[in-house]
Amino acid sequence: MSLSARRASTLSGEDSGRFPLVYDKTVRRRRAVLALLVVLSLILLTAYFGEAPSGGLHSVQRGFLTVVSPIQDGANKALKPVRDLFGWFGSTLKAKEQNAELRKQLAKVRQQLTTKQLDEGTYRELLKLYHLGNALSIADYRPLTATVIYQSPNIWYSTITIDHGSSSGVRVNDPVIADGALIGKVTRVVSDGALVSLITDSEVEVSAKISATGEPGMVQPEVGEPGRLLMQYLPSTSSVVPGDYVVTSGTISSKGESLFPKGIPIGQVTSTSEQSGFKSVEVSPLADLHGLDVVQVLTYRSGSRPESLNGLAASLTPAHQLGPEEEAQGGQVALAGG
Amino acid sequence: MSVRGAGVPAGSAWLPGSLVWRVALLSVVVVFVQISVVSEVPVFGVSVDLSPLLVAFVGLLCGSTIGAVTGFCVGLLIDLALMQMLGVTSLTFTIIGYWAGRLRELRDPQAALTPLFVGAAAATAAMVGYSVIEFLLGVDAPVSLELLREIVVGVLVDTVVALPMWALVRRCVVGALPDDPRRRRRRAYTTGGLSPLSQSRGGAR
Repeated sequence: MSLSARRASTLSGEDSGRFPLVYDKTVRRRRAVLALLVVLSLILLTAYFGEAPSGGLHSVQRGFLTVVSPIQDGANKALKPVRDLFGWFGSTLKAKEQNAELRKQLAKVRQQLTTKQLDEGTYRELLKLYHLGNALSIADYRPLTATVIYQSPNIWYSTITIDHGSSSGVRVNDPVIADGALIGKVTRVVSDGALVSLITDSEVEVSAKISATGEPGMVQPEVGEPGRLLMQYLPSTSSVVPGDYVVTSGTISSKGESLFPKGIPIGQVTSTSEQSGFKSVEVSPLADLHGLDVVQVLTYRSGSRPESLNGLAASLTPAHQLGPEEEAQGGQVALAGG
Repeated sequence: MSVRGAGVPAGSAWLPGSLVWRVALLSVVVVFVQISVVSEVPVFGVSVDLSPLLVAFVGLLCGSTIGAVTGFCVGLLIDLALMQMLGVTSLTFTIIGYWAGRLRELRDPQAALTPLFVGAAAATAAMVGYSVIEFLLGVDAPVSLELLREIVVGVLVDTVVALPMWALVRRCVVGALPDDPRRRRRRAYTTGGLSPLSQSRGGAR
């Protein structure tokens, strides 16, 4: 017997007449509240999904972040010791393994550095000779250090929120780096905060090249592997091997893509595969995207070369949307300046 | 740590103001702690999510209506704070809060491990519900066994913190809940004149 029926049977005959009425009213009110909340959620969802980024609901969201981000920043700083304490335990457990891995990498990098230093002199002479020294590079930007005040906990959105916004010169599409490697780009800005989409977010794609061979490609999140990247449509004759580094190419190949300066490390090739006549490589991001604490936003001054090149890139409208194969065959727009 | 205790009686129209303030304050604090601390400390590669636990336990203590309203408000707060699509988390949490409240109103579970199972169910519903809605909206995101692994590990991790979270919510909310006649009858049965022990003692004298 249900709870309500048991209650009904304990009531006196005088009260039982009124009970069904009260019970019906309660049930109706409960169902009405549920229906109202569900309909309200669906209306919000539909309106938000269908409106432009400059729409009303998006503005409300930005306004909320403007109000809340100083509080979040304060709470983040106040609770940092607690977070560090928990992080310390995890780091200690992994320290020995990481130490061994880093020693191996250090030995390999030292060897590569010696070789590269010999090539550097020749490279500088060639740059002078062919007047190629004006490529857009990280030196054209003003790195702004920002603290991560929030990191998205679910696997559907790879985003972080930082504590600097438009009042500090942060703009939409500004590249963001950490530990010397690219981690993403700014996608929304308010006066005191900004939302950064990481390179593992489904909406971010980066024109890149293999550092050793110079072959271009597009780095995107790997379908089926949250947190990993895939560089596809390399030529089947490509000599890329696991261990090669992937860096930004300084070019764009579609209107929605951001122009990142050339040469920023993105990740390291972990495996290669071949299908449909093209080579694909899995790329492991160099930066630790799960434990981000402090990042650098590459901002620029008004009137500087990055601003003019970004404006030019935004105004370009290709005749048709390039497919990946076309991009692999050189359908990229180089905006190296000069 | 059993579920038995005070709760809003089914059909009660009275909603004390102190209960509203306590639930609101608890919700804001839990969401901010979730954002500032918990989400940045991964456990086995996933973050603990306290929000579905909070919503489910408020529903379990206060009933389906309060559970549903709390779920809607907490979901909206999370979507606003995280710059996520508005309405997705609200919808999921509204259903979780309502369901937990209905569970209490219909079954009134007494087992000590009820919060554990309710917490696990709420975490599962939140992750699966969120994923389903994102798929329906056509969000282009990775799908694979890795996703399932993250959901399973996430549910397990949330289940581990379910009991401490239940203790916290109960401690914050129970003082403002109206007296439940069922609790008085249960207490009278175990410690008052209705207990078989006290009756037999009285008969022996």
